[in-house]
Amino acid sequence: MTNGSTALQHEVTLVELVDRVLNKGVTLTGDITLSVANVDLVYVGLRLLLASVGTLERLEADAS
Amino acid sequence: MSERALYVYGVVPGTAPRSLFDDVRGVDPSEPVTLVADGDVAAVASAVRLDEFGEAAIEDNLRDPGWLADKARAHDAVLAAAVGRTTVLPFRFGAIYRNEDHILELLRERADFASALRRLEGAVELGVKGFVDVGALAERLAADRSAGEETSAGRAYMQRKQEARRLDEDVELFVAERAQETHDRLAAVARDAHVNALQPGERRMILNGAYLVADDEEARFRDELADVARAHEQDRIDYELNGPWPPYNFAGDEDQA
Repeated sequence: MTNGSTALQHEVTLVELVDRVLNKGVTLTGDITLSVANVDLVYVGLRLLLASVGTLERLEADAS
Repeated sequence: MSERALYVYGVVPGTAPRSLFDDVRGVDPSEPVTLVADGDVAAVASAVRLDEFGEAAIEDNLRDPGWLADKARAHDAVLAAAVGRTTVLPFRFGAIYRNEDHILELLRERADFASALRRLEGAVELGVKGFVDVGALAERLAADRSAGEETSAGRAYMQRKQEARRLDEDVELFVAERAQETHDRLAAVARDAHVNALQPGERRMILNGAYLVADDEEARFRDELADVARAHEQDRIDYELNGPWPPYNFAGDEDQA
């Protein structure tokens, strides 16, 4: 019971984090995914990140 | 030794001391957090290796949920170290620059960073989530309804089914109204407010709100939430407060995809 509710709390926190860190904040210059060889800003494909969220929750739940 | 670049977490006022970040490490945990200042604003940054954060490497790493979770946590921890001690304008995960000169160029181009910091000054982001025990609420609403009616022993199946559907609709309407009421009351004591998508989970969420609350209004905000929570307890709705967060939801361009 204790383990169960702790795991749940942990999972919620991670969802919260992903919601904010990956989904919010100032988005710079938009969407350039660039070749490191010639450019400065590597901007991360948001869709790719969000697609991982479901997997992430399961992984965290399994780990705890 | 791999080539390096600078990962940027967000910006703070140019007057913020670097020592704010003495106790945290970067997304690469072997690297300290530094400030790259240009006049009114300073970028919060730390070195990363291109064999971890370069374009090819990051594409692979992003597919690793464990890696992503660690880095997202580190990103948040860096910004969180400054919350309540200075103003922070958070960047979205993944802003990486080749060197300091390119960060300085960015700071010079973006005069809006300084005005965003002024807008966020003296406030923190708080999150409020509302949950309902749908089963218990439905029972209560059904009991309220049948209290005035006579119970006929031989109600037809179709009629019962219809009533059940009507009850579901009533429950949905009821929780939507409660969530709106809560959001409106909290927004009234906040500087700014934002409703986010509901998160799926074991408990049925009815509100996922973010509120930009002035430091000297935080006690009032908590009181208001406690007051709403007491009033909604009988409706089997309860609330959770989280934060304070860096103001991710109020960084100013959440409409950009």
